[in-house]
Amino acid sequence: MKFFRSLLAKYILIIVLALFLIQFAYLAIAIFMTSFASDLGESHTIEGHISESEIEKQWHKAANQLQVAEQEHVEQFFNEWQERYTDSAMFWIDEHGQLRAQRNVTMQYPQHWTPTDTAKFMKSRYGGDPFTVVAFVGSNEDKGFVVLEMSRSLFQPPIRKIYDDYGMILLIGVVFIVFVFIAVSLLFFRGIRKRLLQLQESMTIRDVDTLPIPIDVKRHDEIGQLEQSFNQMVAELKESDERRQQEEQLRRELIANLSHDLRTPLTKMRAQAYGLNKEPLSSEGQLSLQSLEQSIVHVDRLMENLMSYTLLMASKYELHLKEVDVIRFTRESIASWYPVFEKEGFEIDVSLEPFAQSIWYVDQIWLGRILDNILQNVLRHAKDGKYVAVASVSTDQYDAIQISDRGLGIAHESLEKGAGIGLSIVDMMVKGMSLQWEIQSTEQGTTVLLQRFK
Amino acid sequence: MISILYIEDEVDIGNWVVNILKERSYEVIWLRSGEQVDRYIGTADLVILDVMLPGLDGFSIGRRVKKERGDLPILMLSARTAIEDKVEGLHFADDYVTKPFHPDELLARIEVLLRRFQKFDEQIQLQHLTIYPKEMRIINNETNEEVQLTGKQYHLLQFFISHLNQILTKEQLYEGVWGEQFIEGDKTLMVHIRYLREKIEKNPAAPTIIETIRGLGYRVKL
Repeated sequence: MKFFRSLLAKYILIIVLALFLIQFAYLAIAIFMTSFASDLGESHTIEGHISESEIEKQWHKAANQLQVAEQEHVEQFFNEWQERYTDSAMFWIDEHGQLRAQRNVTMQYPQHWTPTDTAKFMKSRYGGDPFTVVAFVGSNEDKGFVVLEMSRSLFQPPIRKIYDDYGMILLIGVVFIVFVFIAVSLLFFRGIRKRLLQLQESMTIRDVDTLPIPIDVKRHDEIGQLEQSFNQMVAELKESDERRQQEEQLRRELIANLSHDLRTPLTKMRAQAYGLNKEPLSSEGQLSLQSLEQSIVHVDRLMENLMSYTLLMASKYELHLKEVDVIRFTRESIASWYPVFEKEGFEIDVSLEPFAQSIWYVDQIWLGRILDNILQNVLRHAKDGKYVAVASVSTDQYDAIQISDRGLGIAHESLEKGAGIGLSIVDMMVKGMSLQWEIQSTEQGTTVLLQRFK
Repeated sequence: MISILYIEDEVDIGNWVVNILKERSYEVIWLRSGEQVDRYIGTADLVILDVMLPGLDGFSIGRRVKKERGDLPILMLSARTAIEDKVEGLHFADDYVTKPFHPDELLARIEVLLRRFQKFDEQIQLQHLTIYPKEMRIINNETNEEVQLTGKQYHLLQFFISHLNQILTKEQLYEGVWGEQFIEGDKTLMVHIRYLREKIEKNPAAPTIIETIRGLGYRVKL
């Protein structure tokens, strides 16, 4: 059954039909023409398609039977024949060589026939056109002779005649048939082409999940099979995409749960440390307790960074860019950090002036995270300087937020490691929002520039 | 006394937090799960909620509580730090503190919430001033006279009081008190702060109640 649904089967059918159609057309034209011709046949062709020799035989026989060679008899004889063969011409030469009766004769024959005339006539008509039969009147061959003239064309087979008479119509018919065949083939291939183009088009359309949309398979031929394969591929893609998303979700969950599970004991540690603080402790004990406190904070931050880093590396940290007044945002961010620096005895120098274009296209959470990480670093690495400055800087090339401290710099630590995971996150987030950043660190201090190029 | 409803399944952390809160003389009702929350919602002044709990999770409990009592501040206290979790939590909760937290931070945030929801009955002592927020009355302790403020001035002071110890930028103040977008260069706020200082500061030329934080904004510290 499959074969009969295929395009190949259809194509073969068209070819076979075409061949059959040509034959059929010939046949149809022939039948049509014959019937058309037979309608006219009464006057133009010979009834029953009698051959020349048959006519000759009949003419001889009839002439021989004509015993009385009187004018009226011959005329009557001619009448009978003319009834049967309308297009024939006849005349009678009597025993004296006189042209006595004639029918339909178009040639100019002499009134009196000499033997020379007779010989000339016989010679010229032998095998020629019109077909000519000469028969003696009566059985005694002494009453002169009758001549029958018929156009040779009356004896031609019908097809030949049709070719001659209706050649143009036939040619047009054949050309028409050829065109019908071409048109049918064209329609067939146009159908295929259209479907292929549609297939190609629907392959380029994407769903909301950026995957192609399955195609509605209407026919089960070769293209239908292609469409089915395509649909199967789409289904597999969808499946794999879902699997990937599930894995991503699992991974996210895993990180979140891991982080939760690590933070819970960390909180307990803090509870214990707080409890210890209530006890009378030696100064050494107090120092250890402080160090424990710091470690808890540090581990907490590390875990937070590790989580962000993992999400950023997997490009799964959501980015929602919108218009943010960067000066205002930075000011509010510093304001929330102010008490921490104040507590550590830092001098805080803020000079934020609006840029010509203070609206940056950024993600607030990301920008907040960048500032947090930079300020955390200041707090951790530049405690000795007891100074932090946040300023807006504008040059021809860029607008920037500048955060500087007077610490020992991070140069003597490992700059290659980017001062740890915190700055790696800064790097990824800055680039993720199409901003740039620069860090210069000397023993006199560190300056970080968060730049937006004009 | 202020009553805090605390839901936490971790015994060690729970004990610790209950102790901290009791030291500050809050009344604490500690539940290990959300099952009996309904019984205490009516009397609580603030709810502290963990997220990972046996049975109903903290988010579901919080949403239910908020639906029942919109005037009850909810503080989420969770070791779940992912932004998605915070965002989900802050849909209904009023604050989100992550573990491991510093007890001082937790207490400060609780106070901010209680003040914001006006759960404090008592007056606030600001240097030589005593403020009765519910009666909108300010008494100068040295002269025992009431300080008379205009509507806008009182509104401004109230905004500072509901954000005690926080640095507020010009934009935040203007938008919080006037409810309009701050336009750079607008002097209205500065004028009002000067008038307010003249009324409440001992020495308006060297203000101590409303601090100026250079480059950032203003702060009222308790």
